[in-house]
Amino acid sequence: MSQDDKLILALPKGRILAEVMPILHRAGIAPEASFDDPNSRALRFTTSDPRLDIIRVRSFDVATFVAFGAADFGVAGNDVVMEFDYPELYAPLDLEAGKCRLVVAAPEALVAVEDPAQWSHVRVATKYPNLTQRYFAQRGVQAECIKLNGAIELAPMLGLCRRIVDLVSTGATLKSNGLVEIETITDVSSRLVVNRAALKTRATALGAWIGRFRSAVEGGRDAA
Amino acid sequence: MSSDIENRALLPSGLNDLLPPRAAQEAGTVSALTDAFAAFGYEQVKPPLVEFETTLIGAAENGGGSLAGQMFRLMDPASQRMMAVRADITLQVARIAETRLRDTARPLRLSYAGEVLRVRGSQLRPERLFAQAGVELIGAADVSADIEVVVLAAEALAAAGIAAPTIDLNSPALVAHLLADVGVEDAVVAQLRVALDHKDAASVRDITRTHGVAFGAAARVLDELVSASGTAEDVLPKLHALELPDSASAELARLEAVVTGVRAARAELSLTLDPVEYRGFEYHTGVSFTVFAAGVRGELGRGGRYITTAGEAATGFSLYLDSIMRALPEPSVAQKMYVPFGAPAAIAGQLRADDWITVAGLAPEEDARAEALRLSCSHCWHNGEILSLSDRGGNAPAEK
Repeated sequence: MSQDDKLILALPKGRILAEVMPILHRAGIAPEASFDDPNSRALRFTTSDPRLDIIRVRSFDVATFVAFGAADFGVAGNDVVMEFDYPELYAPLDLEAGKCRLVVAAPEALVAVEDPAQWSHVRVATKYPNLTQRYFAQRGVQAECIKLNGAIELAPMLGLCRRIVDLVSTGATLKSNGLVEIETITDVSSRLVVNRAALKTRATALGAWIGRFRSAVEGGRDAA
Repeated sequence: MSSDIENRALLPSGLNDLLPPRAAQEAGTVSALTDAFAAFGYEQVKPPLVEFETTLIGAAENGGGSLAGQMFRLMDPASQRMMAVRADITLQVARIAETRLRDTARPLRLSYAGEVLRVRGSQLRPERLFAQAGVELIGAADVSADIEVVVLAAEALAAAGIAAPTIDLNSPALVAHLLADVGVEDAVVAQLRVALDHKDAASVRDITRTHGVAFGAAARVLDELVSASGTAEDVLPKLHALELPDSASAELARLEAVVTGVRAARAELSLTLDPVEYRGFEYHTGVSFTVFAAGVRGELGRGGRYITTAGEAATGFSLYLDSIMRALPEPSVAQKMYVPFGAPAAIAGQLRADDWITVAGLAPEEDARAEALRLSCSHCWHNGEILSLSDRGGNAPAEK
């Protein structure tokens, strides 16, 4: 649990972080200098606000840190939120950043000959086994998921499986690996996620932060 | 299994041994809670751990069936009927009220404490076997009954050592009333409920936009409701600003009356409002609440208004001992007095009468002090004197 009365904000490493930083700045959060230092091995950072610390973790772990209350709030894509489906996670605000799509894709040759309506079982390589299973189950299809942590596009080419479920932003990676989109499972964007118990027990402080993020998102929209 | 030898310490997942001093702390917490219930006029009942499956499942309209998938079942060789281990005690108390105590004067105030067993734990509360303590107030539809149970929950928790809980008041019926006039399929309502439960404003907007015609004015209200949570004082004005149908306004008025009533009884209580929370409240028909504490990840308990199978208005709550124990500090180590072997027979009795915990030496020892320390005693009786063995020591019984 968070020590003292500090709130902890969990941010995802990598691509999303760059897109989310402008929102953080507009919300008045300025992390300490080592946050932007690529050589820093620190994982926890102070900010200009003495009552707010930032942790930087893998995007999938943001949801877990926040769901268990180790961080009070964080930034996570709705792909991650849906994958874990933690009951203790609130997603009150769409940050309108890190936009992409979660899609089912398959090799071009396969798509040409088959009819998705006839599927009863599919084998899928994905980072999102739970979400994938639920999605196919809803359509009456049993999905056997092979959990991979990256380079999903390689799987069909090397015969691991014929289909994948993965994030797509421009579609370039799919294309260069001979894959085409079959269906979109969901549009993805970054959300502000909040721990349920923290929102209740620290309603005023967290409510104020949600308000500041909301204004920051609206401010960004006006500027664009 | 690769190994034939099972480690005897391994228990099935979700089941734990409680050791000293935690086991005693839990027992003490349960009795602090039940004492607080008793002080409010709630009398204890003790239903059995196992009963016929049919009576444990109950009727669908008062929450029956919702825990059916969570019950362990066993065949009763005597009656050849299926029995189940209770996964919740509320329905058992309601059954008692409807049957054996049906002629007892209403409002009927009953309390209970006992263990329940569930097929699955949740991610945040992995325990499958845990103790519940709670009350049911049966045959009272008044708002004063709603207030009484919230105040009692706060006072019982205070008595158990949780000084500053947060009570989140919910109104599961409010959204139901709001959606009553909206003609959309059940599947859409279910989707909407999931989005509301996660406070997912973006999804709520998507859903109301997709079915824009059906939702009409309700879309804007839902949009506001999903972000209307926080301290009671902040949220009430926001709710007042909404244009609600009459039935929903009545729910809101009730909620507000509960806030006022609880404030009057316990002004310092941290009270939040969340009008859209629905999870686990599917069968609640009025003001409901969830209990949280700072630094504890799950709920400490929940309660609310419902209708019994016999059609009586009822309200109540259950507190979960596993969560409460997580919110309590480590118990302080008890101060114990070592009484060496051969001390006059009357001495130990005299010490216990003075509120000491005595640990008797069962065989002669060379160094009584060393033996006392080995047995984790804080004090040692030595030839008529009380020796303190720790720096923290002092006059122990006074600290209790």
